[in-house]
Amino acid sequence: MKKFAYEFFLLGLICVVLAIAAFLDPLFLSSDVQIELSSEIWELGLLTLGMTLIIITAGIDLSVGSAMGLCSVSLGLCMHANLPTGVCVLACLATGLAAGALNGSLVAFIKVHPLLVTLATYGMYRGFAEGLQSATTNAPVDASEGIKALVTGNFPLIQILFTALTAWTAILLGRTATGRGLYAIGHNEEAARFSGIPIAKLKFWIYTYTGLLAGLAAISYSARRSATAEAGLVLELDVIAAVVIGGTSIYGGRGRIAGTLLGVLLIHETRQFVDWYWQRSELTLIVIGTLLILAVLGHRFLFAQDPDTH
Amino acid sequence: MKYRREASLIVLVGALSFLATLFDASFVPANAIDILINSIPTMIISCGVMLVIITGEIDISVGSLLGLLAATLALLSSTAEPGLGIHPYLAIAIVLTVGTLIGLGTGCLVVYGRVPSIIATLGLLIALDGAQDWLMGGGDIKHFPQELRYLGTGTTIPINLILTILVVAGTGLLCHKTALGRRIYAVGSNPSAARLAGISVTTTKLFVFALTGMLTAIAAILWVAKLGNVSTSTGAGLELKVVTCVVVGGVSIRGGRGRILGVVLAVILITMIRTVLNFMDLGSEAVKWQRAIEGVMILVAVTSDHFTQRNQPGGKS
Repeated sequence: MKKFAYEFFLLGLICVVLAIAAFLDPLFLSSDVQIELSSEIWELGLLTLGMTLIIITAGIDLSVGSAMGLCSVSLGLCMHANLPTGVCVLACLATGLAAGALNGSLVAFIKVHPLLVTLATYGMYRGFAEGLQSATTNAPVDASEGIKALVTGNFPLIQILFTALTAWTAILLGRTATGRGLYAIGHNEEAARFSGIPIAKLKFWIYTYTGLLAGLAAISYSARRSATAEAGLVLELDVIAAVVIGGTSIYGGRGRIAGTLLGVLLIHETRQFVDWYWQRSELTLIVIGTLLILAVLGHRFLFAQDPDTH
Repeated sequence: MKYRREASLIVLVGALSFLATLFDASFVPANAIDILINSIPTMIISCGVMLVIITGEIDISVGSLLGLLAATLALLSSTAEPGLGIHPYLAIAIVLTVGTLIGLGTGCLVVYGRVPSIIATLGLLIALDGAQDWLMGGGDIKHFPQELRYLGTGTTIPINLILTILVVAGTGLLCHKTALGRRIYAVGSNPSAARLAGISVTTTKLFVFALTGMLTAIAAILWVAKLGNVSTSTGAGLELKVVTCVVVGGVSIRGGRGRILGVVLAVILITMIRTVLNFMDLGSEAVKWQRAIEGVMILVAVTSDHFTQRNQPGGKS
């Protein structure tokens, strides 16, 4: 129980948010509204899985939103050319893999600080997405029926995949040698190297995985709206905020998928309720920003069991 | 070689100017002042963020903060609705105070609250962006008094340029010639050693965050003075540009290392890339790829020295 104290704290926070919501407008908690608003959670959820792994190794990926935009544009190009759904999906995922692999190789093999790599690719991927879009279709491409069916059909592949990937990532992190390797890298990279942990390989792998997740998120986004270079704009901030609120230390070495999921849920419910009830997007930003700082402060003062890891 | 980074930046700036001169011999004389003036906000804020990064912290809230301060100044001094039309000098004083206080607040969160600076300023980035939208209420704000506009558009004496040079020179002196500057480097390269040497890590960090807030306020004032227009998107994305400039300028993201000259050159280089790309007029196809080209160049700049300096002793990345 004690191990999951912070997760219970988050669960309590979510209950508080929901209680306030229920007090102000009980309609918000009805299943119809919740289901309607839940369509936006999948992209955020998918990206946080990869980001949790990255932040646990004391890295960061600022380029996830931009990579998602690039994936969305390549999906749009394939749909524009009326290629079969399978090919479109493959092209989108391949773009994500390539974007992630570029980040991963620069971080893992050339050993550039991840903040710098992804700061540069953040601008670069979005630039390529905009360039590619304006040089070809010059407008968002509406999702084909085949792609829409993947998200909203009777067999919502994205949602099923999200559930499967969450379980798989949680097991990987909590139950395997690879997971322990990731914690070790974040905790003390030097020590991890001397213990024979394949640091470069693991790092390369997690950035590439995050790229793949950006591809999946792009499919989800494009199916709901349209395939555009705008996909995932400023989403990276929400993703990092959700992971950090979920209890993952930005200094690395600490964090769990369960916490991340609760972080996603907390951000999602807060955002949706503030948006839905007050209809003012600027208020949402103020609340989310404050929530992020308060969650980290709360973690510091209520659950500080580890000595200063700076 | 100590000034290796500065040398390579100068070569890059020279190469870009040469490339542009090939297209039009009058490029450099015609555009040099423009490039400098366009780089003003980035230049001023980079001075502050450079000091923050040297102490081993980071501040990614400066873009939103500039937006919020510009909105505040606009609301206070604009002569048209919904502005309050108070005296511009009073408005400027208020904005400078607010900027410094917010910077100090950020510092307190980091130093006393022990919130990692990237998270504290990420939270502020999101929240201040919301506050800016809330203040603006949607529309643009225009119509500013002459005294204010003069700071950015005065043609006989370019006050904004002089002010920028003063800020840069001041930061350079602070960094490289004063005891406080030495403390800033000491805190960044080894906080425990700095503490043992009797340096107050707390005060030093509070100072650099507050200074960054104040410099952001100055940048916001000059921004409004020059453009005479504030919108909800003012300042968006500036934080990433500033951090990019500081890092390309040779400041180590792990703290403790970096010089003002490199940062100044990097700001000029990065402002130049866009001007040159615009100027070369490569046709409508190329314009679409501008951001992509810019991104590739920045990626190359950020990664290049990892290829060349890998064998340096004690070379931190």
